[in-house]
Amino acid sequence: MKKLLDILPLVIFVTLIIVLFSFLSNEDDQLETALIDESFPEFSLTSLTDKTKVLTKSDISELPALINVWATWCIACKVEHPFLMQLKEESILPIYGLNYKDNRNKAIALLQADGNPFEFSIFDFEGRLAIDLGVYGAPETFFIDKAGLIRVRHVGVIDDKVWKEKFAKYLDE
Amino acid sequence: MIPELGHITLIAYLVLCLVGGILPLAAIFFNKAALEMPIKRVTSLLFSLITFSFLILIYSFLVDDFSVAYVAQNSNINLPFYFKFAATWGAHEGSLILWILAMNAWLISFIFLTKCKNTDFLNTVFSISCQVMFAFTLFTLLTSNPFERILPIPPLNGADLNPSLQDIAFTIHPPLLYFGYSGLLIPFAIAVAAMLFNTDTKEWASYSRPWTLLSCSFLTLGIALGSWWAYYELGWGGWWFWDPVENAAFVPWLLSVALFHSLITSQSKGVFGKWSILLSILAFSTSLLGTFLVRSGILTSVHAFALDPERGLFILGILAFFIVGSLIIYSIKDLNQDNSGTYELNSKEFGFLLNNLLLVILAISILFGTIFPLIYEAITDGKQISVGAPYFEIILFPFALALGLLQGIALYLSWGSSSSFSFIQRVFLESISVFGLILLILYILFDNLYLTSFITIFLACWIAAGTLQVSKKRNINYWSFLKKRLAVTFAHVGMAILVLGVGVVSSYSLEKELILAPGDSFEFGDQIVSFESVEDTLGPNYFSKSANISFKDTQNDTNVITEKRTYVPSGQLTTEAGIIMEPFQDLYISMGDNLEADIWSFKVQIKPFIRWIWLGALLIAIGSMLAGIKQIRRA
Amino acid sequence: MNKILIIIFICSISLGILSEAEQKFTFDKEAYSFDNIVQEELFYSLLVELRCPKCQSSNLSGSNSPISNDLKREVYELVIKEQSAEEIKAYLVERYGNFIIYNPPIEPATYILWFGPFLLIILSLGSIILYRRKQA
Repeated sequence: MKKLLDILPLVIFVTLIIVLFSFLSNEDDQLETALIDESFPEFSLTSLTDKTKVLTKSDISELPALINVWATWCIACKVEHPFLMQLKEESILPIYGLNYKDNRNKAIALLQADGNPFEFSIFDFEGRLAIDLGVYGAPETFFIDKAGLIRVRHVGVIDDKVWKEKFAKYLDE
Repeated sequence: MIPELGHITLIAYLVLCLVGGILPLAAIFFNKAALEMPIKRVTSLLFSLITFSFLILIYSFLVDDFSVAYVAQNSNINLPFYFKFAATWGAHEGSLILWILAMNAWLISFIFLTKCKNTDFLNTVFSISCQVMFAFTLFTLLTSNPFERILPIPPLNGADLNPSLQDIAFTIHPPLLYFGYSGLLIPFAIAVAAMLFNTDTKEWASYSRPWTLLSCSFLTLGIALGSWWAYYELGWGGWWFWDPVENAAFVPWLLSVALFHSLITSQSKGVFGKWSILLSILAFSTSLLGTFLVRSGILTSVHAFALDPERGLFILGILAFFIVGSLIIYSIKDLNQDNSGTYELNSKEFGFLLNNLLLVILAISILFGTIFPLIYEAITDGKQISVGAPYFEIILFPFALALGLLQGIALYLSWGSSSSFSFIQRVFLESISVFGLILLILYILFDNLYLTSFITIFLACWIAAGTLQVSKKRNINYWSFLKKRLAVTFAHVGMAILVLGVGVVSSYSLEKELILAPGDSFEFGDQIVSFESVEDTLGPNYFSKSANISFKDTQNDTNVITEKRTYVPSGQLTTEAGIIMEPFQDLYISMGDNLEADIWSFKVQIKPFIRWIWLGALLIAIGSMLAGIKQIRRA
Repeated sequence: MNKILIIIFICSISLGILSEAEQKFTFDKEAYSFDNIVQEELFYSLLVELRCPKCQSSNLSGSNSPISNDLKREVYELVIKEQSAEEIKAYLVERYGNFIIYNPPIEPATYILWFGPFLLIILSLGSIILYRRKQA
């Protein structure tokens, strides 16, 4: 019994070290979305380009699709823009934009200057749809499947590598 | 050229540590007297080398040598010189040099001041310490070298020191904290030596006790300063957040407190010897663990830039080597440590046992809670949770309650067993005074009574009364009696004051978010807060918007400035809070966002009794420092 | 000696407590105005319990980042709609996961977190008592 007690600290400590070691190898630093397999939330917001037109969830009709959260103040969004354009040009799947807490005119100007990969962009000035999606910054990209369910959310720049690793598999379903 | 000197000195230091870590042990265990070293001289040489290296680094900062990468990353031409000095330990690489220097400072103090005459024992402590210093220096040179150069074209200016670190408290907080952390090296090395030589419990405990006390004192000061700095620098008015970094310092503190209480018992009565050894190992290991957790990046939350996992691996390796190594010795060796002293449940020994039980389990719980999010993510395959202040406060409360109750009667306990009659009499007297106090507080607080706050205030009175009371039976001059127990009086009364501060500020703070234009006033608590004006001001390396706020109540009318600073080199923003310190409360205001024109959002708070928290901590640090010094002098 | 102590303590504590008066209610200039103090306390206590999803380590109370301000607004709107603390937390957890609350949920996976400390105390106290009985 006494010998058991003597070895116990050692055993606990070795376990701790192994556990900490395993954490070191874990690279993922994103907040997982709480909305996996949930349907895309309802909303009622104006279109970026036409402030009289009100968009709702039913306007996201072509599925599967990507929803991309972007803004003119978001530097990383500029980095991923070419890839989004590429996705559009190759007609891989439709991309809908969620313009997040932005200046309407600046956003329109940016799309005109750099190209518009979006079917349309939702103008979410107050960030309410973003909150319903659990968004906490830009850029973020969601994959919505044929049934309108959110399958994956990526925080950060989406590029070819991210696409292949995280998104492409859902396209084949 | 000069940075190279620092680099070379560090390498020389590394080699000497390696030699020092091996030869004396080889001399003892292979019986080769020829391998013995004059450890006093070698320690002095080591200390000179690391100090020299450190001074070179400081020099590089003071002369703006941006060819040194570390200086370029953490300094700037416009940085005031006292911050250039402090920037030396402003980031990972430089702070490691400080860590190593601190370990060496403790070692040299121990070698020269200890009363231990056993050369084998001393040489072993020296050797083990050298091994640890070697490991850290190797880590520094291989992965975190502060002397790396940017050549052939050094940058013209540096990136600047992180603005939240550009503060006076910051110049003192890390050194104090590192001295606290690293001081636990000595008790660790002593414990290992005690295991190897099966040293008599009372003897090795007497060697270890002063250094544990002094480390605890530095840790107390370091943590208290960190809390104070966070309070006024970060702008949100909080003083403890249960952040992983804070917990990483709190856990070793708890264990060092448990340790010196255990060592008192070991030294006086020769019991708990084996436990004290284990605790010495654990205390130092949590110190190393804290270093690992904070520098490896595994505990930064989602969305922080990843710190270096490779460095984390190295530190984990150091941790594994020393702790697993010493625990293996602990498991295998037949330690003849425990004298079968008998003691009753109402004895000092049992009191210390309870004290240790509570402190150690609390420490383990906090440590576990800190790393739990990672464990949870692993066992639920990806789900994430947060473990923060609400959880830790719920867990802490019962422990603090039990410890506080114990602390109030601790000084009445005697070794072996306490005379029941005088014990009960004292507790009775104490209870009367405390309950009299409580009735009055109840009367005053009748409108606003919070249960947890009430309990905490009661605890504070209980602890203070228990520390300051003397039995009426004895005919002793009270002041000479106190003088003999000066250290413990400071420490325990300090704890009472700290607990009082926490109890009051936790429940009686007021806060509000305001939106004001210049000229607006608002009634808040018993104050009228007025936003008088806002103007642009310029600092040495920043420009800011300074808001002039006045607080008026029936007695005072004081102005204070709160600022929103933009630091020029990095573009980073900081909020400088405006704080008015009154004896029994702080008036606190911080600027939020500029909404339009000159309209700003503010967060205004009244924090009653908050200074008492740091006053209490200071008294605790003084108490443990006094105790440590007293133990060093004792023959 | 006891009497002196009592007097000192009473004086200091009274001074401290008496200096906090009742809070009065005004409706302009407050960033978040409420109908009653219960709502206001609920609001500010939630801000401390909820985590800023974007910050390294901060609650909503201590963060001025855009997402924090948006979330504060959400919490405010839910509080004045008379939602309870549980309902508001559930609303946010639905969107951000348990990560957003600093108080971990009590579920099988967290039993060890919540009950561990007390189990440890009971276990160790128990073994000490048993050990002493054996010795006697």
